[in-house]
Formats: sequence, C-alpha cells, structure tokens
Amino acid sequence: MSRVSFNCTMQEGQIGEELRAELAAALQQITQDVLGESPDDVPVTFSDIPSGYGFRGGEPSTTSLVRGSIVGGVTQEVREDFMRRICDSWMEISGCTVDELVVSARDV
Amino acid sequence: MPYYRCVVPKDSVPYEQRAAVAKAFTDIHCGNTGAPRSFVHVVFDEADDRWATPYFLDGGNRAGRSEEVKAELLSDLMGAFREITGVAEEDFSGRITEGPAKWTMEGGMVLPEPGEETEEWYSHGQAAAGG
Repeated sequence: MSRVSFNCTMQEGQIGEELRAELAAALQQITQDVLGESPDDVPVTFSDIPSGYGFRGGEPSTTSLVRGSIVGGVTQEVREDFMRRICDSWMEISGCTVDELVVSARDV
Repeated sequence: MPYYRCVVPKDSVPYEQRAAVAKAFTDIHCGNTGAPRSFVHVVFDEADDRWATPYFLDGGNRAGRSEEVKAELLSDLMGAFREITGVAEEDFSGRITEGPAKWTMEGGMVLPEPGEETEEWYSHGQAAAGG
C-alpha cells in the first residue's frame, strides 16, 4: 500500500488531458522532495465533475481539489511546505489562480 | 471546506434544483458558522455509491464546532435539500465528517480552526467570492 497518494478533482473543461501527466509528475516530485517517497510509489488519480454539477459559494465552480493522503507523523511545518509547493506548482502548470485551488494533506 | 457531496441517482436532480440546493447550502452553512461564502463547495455526484438511501449527503467540515451547531447544520441542510428536490424523508440520509482545519490549504492559506478566523482570512474569502 502506498504511503502517499493523490486524488485530484477538477471541474469539467478546466484542465485539459494534456496537462494531467505533467501535474501528476509534479505531485510525485514534490512528494519525493518533501516526504522522501519514491515517485513510483505515489499514485495520482484524476476525475472531472461534470459541468453544472459543481458549485462554490452557490455559483458554478472553477475550483480544483487536490486531495493528498499521507502517512501521519509529519510536523505542521512540513505539511504546510508540502501543500504550498503543490499550490505553486499546480497554478504554474494549470494556469489557475490561487482562489481556484484547494489542497489538502490528510493523515491516513 | 466545507465540502458537501450530494450523492443522487442518475438524472434525478435537474440543474435548476442543483443550483438552488447549492445556494441554499451556502446560505445555511454561512448562516450557521459565519464562514465566507466562497469557501462552501457543493458537488452533485451520480456515482453508484451504496448508501442506506438512494440520496445521501456526505459532508466534510473543519473539526471543532459544538455538537449542537453540527446537528443543527445537518438538519437544516437536509431539510433544504428535501424541500427543493421533493425527495421523501425516507429516501435521504446524511452525515458530516470532520477533519483538522490545518490539513487543508485554500486560497493559498491554511484554514484556521473554527473560532480562530482572522480578519485577513475573512477578507480573502470575500475577495475570492467577488473575483
């Protein structure tokens, strides 16, 4: 069983298929850099919320959610560094704004 | 956060109702907790999940609120859903699970614990809603 995994949920049409391999590679590299896990052991899955099925603040959403599951025991400082690097990388690759992204790193 | 996932049968809830539920959930959540509107996420999922009822509300919130607030919130959300969609009470159930706020970063900021929100956080939430 992997010690770290990601489930990424995007709104349909927000992030094209061509970017997903790059996003996955970035998440795996950050995991290696911050948590020391081999990229090969970090599964990343993507799913789309169909248009008209996702809302934020009561309005149609353009927000992506990157949900990481990590083995517990890291300090909050490390967790924040991990999430911030993911934010920065995801925005750079996808072109989304900081307000269009939610990142979590939950203990499993 | 919060993240409210409504599991519904395929093609059972039209867009107008989904939009109305999303707005109602946002109103209710913000009214009960004081959170900025832009932090309320509502998703409809026609997944083939196996719950006790055909319709299910699977909510995720920051931990730290009182049992009273949580119970009232869930009751209000489920009531609004039923009122808007016409789903029978026996066909709908739900829960709200919680996790530490510090495990989530939204708008580039780590979420504060309930009751520890700062002016900066509220301001950012309002800016996000307007942008």
